[in-house]
Amino acid sequence: MDRQAQIDLILDHYENPRHRGPLADASAVETGTNPGCGDVVTIYLKAGREGSIADISFDGNGCTISQAGASIVAEMFAGKTLGDVEATGPDAILGLIGPDIAAARQKCALLGLNTAQVAARRLYTVHFPMLG
Amino acid sequence: MLLDVAVSPDRAIDVEQIRADFPILERRVHEHPLVYLDNAASSQKPRQVLDAMDRYYRTTNANVHRGVHTLSEDATALYEAARARVSEFVGACCPKEIIWTRNATEAINLVAYSWGRANLGRGDRILLTEMEHHANLVPWQILAAEKEVELDFVPVADDGTLKLDRLPKLLTPRTRLFAFTAASNVVGTLNPVREMAAAAHKAGALALVDGAQSVPHMPVNVQELDIDFMAFSGHKMLGPTGIGVLWGRRELLNAMPPFMGGGDMIREVHLRESRWNELPWKFEAGTPAIAEAIGLGAAVSYLAGIGMEAVQAHGRQVVDYAMARLSEVKGLRILGATTNPRGALVAFTLGEIHPHDIAGALDSLGIAVRAGHHCAQPLHQRFGIPASTRASFYIYNNEAEVDLLVAGLQKVIEFFSS
Repeated sequence: MDRQAQIDLILDHYENPRHRGPLADASAVETGTNPGCGDVVTIYLKAGREGSIADISFDGNGCTISQAGASIVAEMFAGKTLGDVEATGPDAILGLIGPDIAAARQKCALLGLNTAQVAARRLYTVHFPMLG
Repeated sequence: MLLDVAVSPDRAIDVEQIRADFPILERRVHEHPLVYLDNAASSQKPRQVLDAMDRYYRTTNANVHRGVHTLSEDATALYEAARARVSEFVGACCPKEIIWTRNATEAINLVAYSWGRANLGRGDRILLTEMEHHANLVPWQILAAEKEVELDFVPVADDGTLKLDRLPKLLTPRTRLFAFTAASNVVGTLNPVREMAAAAHKAGALALVDGAQSVPHMPVNVQELDIDFMAFSGHKMLGPTGIGVLWGRRELLNAMPPFMGGGDMIREVHLRESRWNELPWKFEAGTPAIAEAIGLGAAVSYLAGIGMEAVQAHGRQVVDYAMARLSEVKGLRILGATTNPRGALVAFTLGEIHPHDIAGALDSLGIAVRAGHHCAQPLHQRFGIPASTRASFYIYNNEAEVDLLVAGLQKVIEFFSS
């Protein structure tokens, strides 16, 4: 993806966020912040059977990259498993957003992913306690 | 050391001539000329400072204070001459009142650890303000927890000034120290240092001033201000990183225990008493940042050659122009008073657009501003915002750069409203 396409992707997710809004019957709700700049992302996860993700959504406030990153994360993991969330490295997000755009703002770009991973980890240990 | 800035002190600054002294201003960023508006965070360095440090390392490098050989003697002479220059620059009585530290933050920590630990106890109080930089908050929080000392705060009004009418109540009989900033790094407020110090003294408290945003930008005379301690950083006043200053009244410094132990700070040991080294070396353990001190000495010479009245006048002129132009930007809200006098910086919010996005967009136009809380989270909490964008000016900034900033902000608005 070239730079313009990456910018367009970020703006698209920022202006037309996917899976935005709280989940009434979430199994886990986790809020992550970048206190330094005021980005806030809340991830709502509803676990299905055997570690699958029945539903995922996000909410929040902050810079375009943090909110777009959260939208990308919600879209990425809808219909996937908790294990998928845990196994996803930062490059999956940074690669989409673009290295030079993300360079100065990694914390913003990864806020959604990091928050989702904390939420997933929590659910994971609840659902598979002997592994937690 | 000879000063080769061809400007007589206190004539108006010739910005173009000054800009020629700063090699980094030749840089391009994202194919645009660099417009550096982040001076409150750190300032650029003139070649005179770079040359002084380079020359030291190339011709005179040696450890100071204990060598008999020529290099060491010469290095010591340069190093102590820099100290003397700084002493003169801030109106101290004498070089022994100038303690080299790493930066203003370390200087404040030195007072907290050395003076605070030896002199404060349970029930004592320290008065701070809501507008302080974290450097003048956190060390006192640490001390307060350790010594069961209470912290009080002068509140900030909506226009960014301190509510100084509260001082009589806030300066209690148990208040031992009033620590406050001379100039806010966010709201641009210039505090009446002399009056605030006098109020502290009247209540039996000492006055410590965070001079990080004042010493680089205006004439400061510690004796005229009648204060007790002052902290400032070299890198904010054209000097290198890694060097800062604690100025303190010698009677106070003499009575304080050392900060760090090590070489150079012990003078002699007797049966019944040990003598720390005399000032200033009592507070300077280990090999100091010699090149950096020499660099700061050169920076002080450069500034003195321009004259701090001229530096201040230029800052006022640029920030006045900036505030006028920024007031044309729709949805832009300046933090703090919009009337002069003000420090040479402007922090603002721009509608709902996040400061990171503003700073990122401006960066793509070669314009460097800062986005965030500027190490003043409590102040931002006071104004109900998590972050702001800040443009801060210095001697090499001009009105054309302000125009570029405003044009950049208009582009940001267009982008986010489409």
